[in-house]
Order: sequence, then C-alpha cells, then structure tokens
Amino acid sequence: MIQKDPLWVSIPRAAGLGVWALISLFPLYWILLTSFKPANQIAEYPVRYWPREFSFSNYTSLFQKSEFGAYLLNSLVVSASAAFVATTIALLSAYVLSRFHFRSKGAVMMAFLVTQMIPAFIALGPLYQMFTNLGLVDKRFGLVLVYIAMSIPFASIMLRGFFDNVPDSLEEAAMVDGASRFGALWRVIVPVMTPGIIATFIFNFVNSWNELFLAVTLINTDDRKTIPTALNGFISNFNIEWGPMSAAAVLTILPTMVLFAFASRWIVAGLTQGATKG
Amino acid sequence: MSASTDEVAERGRTHEAPPPRRRQFTKRTSLTILAYLTPAFIFVIIFTYYPLVVGGQMAFRKWSLYDLTSTPFIGLENFTTLIANPLFSKVMLNSLVWVVASLVVQFLIGFMLALGLRKKFRFRGVYQAMIFYPWAVSGFLIGILFRWMFNSEFGVFNDMLMRTGVSAKPIPWLANPDLALVAVIVANVWYGVAFFAIMILAALQSVPHELHEAAAIDGAGRWRTLTRVTIPTIRTTLVLTVLLRVIWIFNFPDIIYGMTGGGPGNQTQIATTWMIQFTQQGDYGLASALGFIVMGVLVVFTGVYLTLLTRERKP
Amino acid sequence: MRKKLLTTVAAVSALALSLTGCSGSGGGGDDKSDGGDVTITMVESLTNPARTELLKGMLSEFETENPGIKVQLISPPTEQADQKIQQMLQSGSGVDVLEVRDLTVGPFSNNTWLYDMSGDLKSWEGLDKLTDQAKTVAVGEDGKSYYVPYGFYGLSLFYRTDMVKEAGFDGAPKSWDDLITQAAKIQDPTKNKYGYAFRGGKNSAGQVLSILQAYNADNLDVTNAYKVTSGKTIFSTPESQTAIDRYIDLFKTGSPESSVSWGYSEMVQAFTNGSTAFLLQDPEVIAVVNDSTLTADQWGVAPNPVGPTGKAAWPMATAGWGVAEASKHKPEAVKLVQWLSGDISTKFAKENSLVPILKSAGEDEFFKTGPWAAYVEMTSQPETWISVTEPRDVAWWTEWMQKSETDLQQVLLGKMSTADMLKSWDTFWTEKWNG
Repeated sequence: MIQKDPLWVSIPRAAGLGVWALISLFPLYWILLTSFKPANQIAEYPVRYWPREFSFSNYTSLFQKSEFGAYLLNSLVVSASAAFVATTIALLSAYVLSRFHFRSKGAVMMAFLVTQMIPAFIALGPLYQMFTNLGLVDKRFGLVLVYIAMSIPFASIMLRGFFDNVPDSLEEAAMVDGASRFGALWRVIVPVMTPGIIATFIFNFVNSWNELFLAVTLINTDDRKTIPTALNGFISNFNIEWGPMSAAAVLTILPTMVLFAFASRWIVAGLTQGATKG
Repeated sequence: MSASTDEVAERGRTHEAPPPRRRQFTKRTSLTILAYLTPAFIFVIIFTYYPLVVGGQMAFRKWSLYDLTSTPFIGLENFTTLIANPLFSKVMLNSLVWVVASLVVQFLIGFMLALGLRKKFRFRGVYQAMIFYPWAVSGFLIGILFRWMFNSEFGVFNDMLMRTGVSAKPIPWLANPDLALVAVIVANVWYGVAFFAIMILAALQSVPHELHEAAAIDGAGRWRTLTRVTIPTIRTTLVLTVLLRVIWIFNFPDIIYGMTGGGPGNQTQIATTWMIQFTQQGDYGLASALGFIVMGVLVVFTGVYLTLLTRERKP
Repeated sequence: MRKKLLTTVAAVSALALSLTGCSGSGGGGDDKSDGGDVTITMVESLTNPARTELLKGMLSEFETENPGIKVQLISPPTEQADQKIQQMLQSGSGVDVLEVRDLTVGPFSNNTWLYDMSGDLKSWEGLDKLTDQAKTVAVGEDGKSYYVPYGFYGLSLFYRTDMVKEAGFDGAPKSWDDLITQAAKIQDPTKNKYGYAFRGGKNSAGQVLSILQAYNADNLDVTNAYKVTSGKTIFSTPESQTAIDRYIDLFKTGSPESSVSWGYSEMVQAFTNGSTAFLLQDPEVIAVVNDSTLTADQWGVAPNPVGPTGKAAWPMATAGWGVAEASKHKPEAVKLVQWLSGDISTKFAKENSLVPILKSAGEDEFFKTGPWAAYVEMTSQPETWISVTEPRDVAWWTEWMQKSETDLQQVLLGKMSTADMLKSWDTFWTEKWNG
C-alpha cells in the first residue's frame, strides 16, 4: 500500500505547506484583528499587531443595526440551492459531453465557455427587463435562477473533465448487468466521482456566494440582501468602515471555511476507498 | 474546433488500455444526448444568451447614458474608435501580463499544494480550509484590503519589511508604475491558488493507486511517476482548469479596480477595468464593443489552445 | 458512506430551494399592501450605513405624519447605486422617489426619466425658505425642477492645530503659499510625519481645480468655473501654469511619496491616524475625524486657501431628491420630497455634515461653531470666497475625471510635464465645448 515518504520528501513538503499557510492566513488575521479594534484604533499608526483592547462593538453593532443574520441566511440558502441544482443539471450535460461523440460537441463546449467571457453589464439591462416582466425582481428565487444559469457552464466543463478520468468500462459493466444508462450514471459513476462533484459543488456555491453585481441590481428589500451587497454597503463616498466591515467579513469567511473543512474530507476520499475494485 | 475538444478528452484517458470504442449512433442515442443536455440549455439560453443578444446590440449603436432617446446604429464605429485609441495596445499588453503572470504562479503553487495534500496527515481538513478560504472572499474586498496592506506609509507589508530590516525605506507599492502591477498580481495569486489546489487535488484523488504501484514496481522514480503517469491521467482536468482560469482572470477586474483603479497612469489598466471606466462614463456602446473584443480574443485563444494541446501529442 | 453524504446534501439543498421558493413568492413590495395604503419606493445613491439609519428614522416620522402613505427605502451600496437606479428608471417600474446628484441629473432628465416638479413647487410654501443657492438648484435655469437639494458640500482645509504650532506657525495656512510652506516644514518622513494629504488617485481633479481657481480668482467665470472671463478654459492661463507648478511643489516637498495613488480613504486615514497635518476635503469628513483618536483640540477646519490675490473660489457639489416620471404615485412622491426638503433637512444636514439648504439653519448655533465656523466664514465673505459653479452636469464629466487622474499621475511620476498636461486639458475642454 502507501509507503512512508523519505525525509527529503516530507520535510520540504511540510515546510512548503507551512509557508503557504502563513501567507494564506495573514490577510484573515488582519481582518480578524481589525474586527476587534474600536473604531478609533483601526487606522492607527504605527501599525499594531495586537489590539490595545479587545472590543466586540463591531460585532454587536452588526447584528443590532443591520439584518446581518438574514443576509447570512439568504446567502447560504441562495448559494446552496443554486449550487445544488446547477451541479445536478451539469452532471447530465457533462456525462453526455464525456461519453458520447457527436458532431456539435465542440460547439456545445464552446457555447459553455463563451458564457464565462460575457461581461455582466451587457446582459444586465435585458435581464432586468425580463425579471420585471416576470415579477422576479426582489425575489430570492429569481436570484437562484440566474445563479443556476451562471453556474451550469462551469460545472459542466469541470465535471466533464472528471468524467473523463473515470473508465468507460465501469458503467458498461453495469449496463451489461441490466442497469439503465441513468441508473448506471447514478449508482456507479457518481459515487466514484464524489471528489470531483463535491469540488464542483463548492465552486458553484462560492461563485454565487460572492456574486455582487446581479444581487445588487435584482434585490431591493433589506432583509433579502445577500452578503456581498451588505459588505459593499460599508464603503461610502468618504469612508471605508473597516470595523464593521471586517466583522462582517470574518462572519462570512468562517462558514465557508467550515464548509471547506467538511467538504475536503470528501474531496480527498477518492478512489482509495475501493469503489472501483468491487 | 469540435474535433479538438473531443480529442483532449481522449488524451485524458491514456490509462485506459483500449481507446473508447465508438458507440453505435442510433436515434435513441441522439435523443438521450438531447434529453441530457436540455436542462442545461434552457437555463443558459434564457438567462445568458438571450440577454447577451439583446444587450449586445449596444456595441453596434451609439449608446450613451446621456441620451438614450436616440441610439442610432453605427456599425463598427465603436470598435474602430477603441482600436484607434492609443491606450488600446497598452491595455491589451497589460491584460496579457496580468493573465500570464497570475496564471503561471497560481498554477505552480496550486499544483504543488495539491501534491503536498495527497497524503493524509493530521488536521489535513483544517489545513485545507485555511488555504482554500481566499477563494470565498469577494474580489472587491480583496482589492481594498490589499490596497490597505500595500499602503506605503501606513500599510502592514511595509511595516513588516522595515521591522525585519528587509527594506530600510517604505516601498511605494501602488504609486510606483512597475511595482503596482506586481502588487495586483500578488493579490490575485493569493486569491487564485485555491482554485487550482482544489481542482487538481480532486483530480489526483481519482488516479487509481494501482497505477502508481505499477509504476513503483517498474522502478520509476517519483519524478517519472509524476510526469509519465500522474500528469497524463489528469490531463483533461489540467487543460480545462487552465483554460477556465485564463478566461476568468481576463474577465476579473475586481482586484485591480479595488487596488489601483487601473493607475498609476494606466499602468495597471486591463481590458475589463477599462470597460468599467466606459460604463462609468455612461458610454455603453464603447464598453460593450470592448466586451466583444475581449470575447473574441478569448474565443480565438480557446480554439488555438485546444488545437495545439491536441496536436502536440499526436504520434 | 458516500451515498449518505450525497443524499444529505441533496435533502438540505432541496429544503433550501423550497425555502427560497416560498419566501420569494410571499413577500411584500407590492404597490398596495394593507388596505388603501399607498406604498412608495425611495432609492438612495450616496449610501452609508449611518445615513440609511437616519433616513429610516426620518421616513417613519413621515409615515406617522402622513397616514396612508408608506415608504419603502432601497439602499444599494453607493458604488453600484447609480447603475441600479438607472436600470430601475429604464425599466419604468419600481421607483418613485430617488436621490438625484448633480452628476446624474443631466442624463436622467435627458432620458425623460425624471418628473418635472416645477408645477408642484410653485405652490409650495417651503420654496422661499430655501437659501438662494438651494433655490437655483431646485428651480433650474430653464424653469424645470428635477430635484430639490438636501445639502451642499465643498472643499475646506482640515488641519492639525498641534502640528502647525509645533512647527512654529501661529495658525492655519491662509493661502496656498502658506500651505506649501507649512507642509514642507512639517514633513519628516523618517518620523512618519507628513505635511499634506495629497490626492493623486480617483477624482483628484477637485483638489487641482481648487488651486487653479484660487490663482485665477480675479478672472474666473463664476457661472462656469472651468472658464475664465475671456471665454478660454481655465487651463490656458499663465496663472494656471504657476499654480500647477506650485501644486507639484506641494507634492514633492510636503506630501507622502505614495500619495500618487491616494484616494479618499488614504487621505482621510492619513489625517485621522495623526501622521498628516493638512487635508483638503468635503465636510463629510468631520464625522469621520470625530470618530478618530484625534481630540477636539488637535484639529480644526480652515477656509479654502486663497491665491496670490487673496481670493479663492468655492465650488459646491450637491444632490437631492427627485421623482421618477414613471411613478404611479406622483402626488405622494412629491409630498415626500417637499417634506424631506422642509425643516427636517437641517437635521439631515447636521448628521451628514452638509451645508444646509434652509435659510433658518444659518441661525443654528451648530453651524456657527467648531469645525463649521470655517463654512460660515466662507459664506459670509463672498468677495473672498467666490461662489462658483462647475460644469458637473456635462456628458463627459466622468471621462474628464478619469483623464485628469491619469494625466496628473503621469506628471507626478515625471512622465509628463505640467505644461503638456495643461495644454492637453485645454484641448480636451475646448474640443468638448465646441462639440
């Protein structure tokens, strides 16, 4: 099975991982630090790496003065729904793109790729008009719909790559055993591809989680706003309110970190658990 | 183009002994294909392509927010105006540097992290959360945060450099025409490494261990196993993640917009930040024309990229 | 195991989806919510959290005074707000009252998105309570009323009383020459002390024009402060050449090196963290400085620095409330605009640090003391601080702001001469005006 690595491999690896962790975490530390500083100490100079006094006022004011809990919940619900639907739909299209050969396949791939190149403002006018006509303005459900559309192409392309990594023989065996194509896809391939599916789900989730432009335009009511809209609200014409914004950012980052930590178990689970061997 | 994308896929399956045999192409098969693609198509056509086609007209019209009562059709005038602008070539060059530099560094660090994370170790999940979270921070926040940290006089980066004696004087990161581009790329690398790390890690996990064991028995060293077995197996994922990242980075003005606004003196102006400037001027005609130029460049790139990557390995 | 995970994810997501579906179709936002009540929608543009809270309080006061009218306030982040407002106006639905800025009134009214309130304002007793300045905005030259301003803002000099004293000066700089001398004397980068919070980043033209107008004060076209009385642009005069060179001196001898890229946040931060002595900014900064570590005896506000002839200009920017042409509830919307422009506007101006629109506010002790004294001084001496109008409503204003920012940065980086910059600005404006 897996052999132990020699020291000349494991020491540089640990060092490399350690260095990157520091680089990666520093900005988070900085936001965290800022979020605990009282307003008058945030822009202090010389720079302080530890607050003179800890203040929770940024956090309390966040919940007292704004609907932050609602924003968080909205973001969670909207992103999770969009990511789930988009990943499911993309499983189907990716499967076809990976397993079949047909003339227009390149065109389909390109059509998916092109959606990733479109600047949002071009589509915004017609989209807003359409949403007005459909009565979807200021509805979280409407936001979910656009986010699904936004996520499908990326998910299809990524999942197609993961499908390609799974040998054809797997589902063929299942189909010989009498499973339907869909049954083979669902029961045989999907379990094998779990790492890729989870990774794709996460990225879809995060793309919606961070989306600002459409969320600002399509949502009006305060308690239906999502996190990015709320975060951007701390920037005004004459000031960036670093205190409450950092507190909000910390509360935004933490759930995603939990998600990553949870999901990463499944990303690394991989084929080692023997799904293919059976 | 259709041929090339297909072949990339086939390359990816080199570990499979016989190449996938062509299926019989029956009516039933084409119905299956259609049925599986339909849900995706419905969403993409309604919410992406329809608005694109309607909104895309702006590129061929005089479309200024200052007077929308008349938006005459002017053919390609917006395009020629843009190309004649002395800033055009500079912006394209900046975009190229921005994409290539960010991509290469992100990819290398991301790949190494993915390799480092393959083996189980204690708290690996926590570690992954620690290095993946930047992806979940919105671009604009990264922009203003790094702008603050890179501030020459009061920023924390210079403070650390000076306290540790690396630099005696504050470095004017965002005010110096050469360093500003470096600074925005640093921020982008910090943000984008996570994507490659996760995707490559997920792909690596689907490489069957039998393959590695077989290589080990053959006496192949680590490097050979990596280049001969691992990389070819996850080739499709590598090709597609790189492609997607090129497209995304090209279209990602948030960090630059927040950090430098394209300055100083247009030194960090890329196509998409320039586009934002046009929308702020209310000139949606020019802005969407630039949008189409960017899309054109990327479509051509995608075609060439996929074709080249396919040809390179032909026997 | 893995299957269980997928099932769980599926179940959770399906639940989430049904949640959005339900709550999405349920909510309010309809024109008529409870019984005969009219709900009007109001969108703000220069949003910040404190202001939104203030507005909400004001609106609930309005609702109590006007039973039957409900107001829904929409507060998009300021950076994206005007774009959102534009989408709403273009689609012709969803907005009744909106914040109109001097920068947006041009395009919005050209596109016939704004309702002309002139008929309603004629019979409004509040009109005569406005200051002359506010009245000229409320009723435009062409007799049309697209918005009633809620306040004005213009630059003034924030300074550190203690740093000025330490450097051996007996008071705030009165002229640009004083400012440049004092800034250079105070500046000591090795001790993290800087003279002037220079603006090289976004919207740097405001500060540049301030010195140009001070140097050209004797010949300035007050109706269009980008022109001199000869009809040429302000950039074409020899005085401007002197002024801009002095301005670059200020950057080189009295400002932090990296201020080439400074926008408002860096400037304000440099002042509030105690390292920089001077800051030329809008009154909004008063609130931010009040929240900082600086104590009241450490800082003050002085009038705009004057030019060599002892005069300066005082251009003002403004924003206000207007009504959408597509509004289905115009009488109620107009009522709200008039109410917001009444006595309550002084409260709004106080809490947002704006120059108020009502004559009566001049009597208010609040605007006579502390940081506000400088504003009173400027308004009371119109020969010294000449009230001028800048062409902020032209279609190319944003293009100009972007161009001037880039050009100034080129000059600061030594890649362009000041003469070339002025020449290019002169050409830009002359060509634009000639069409």
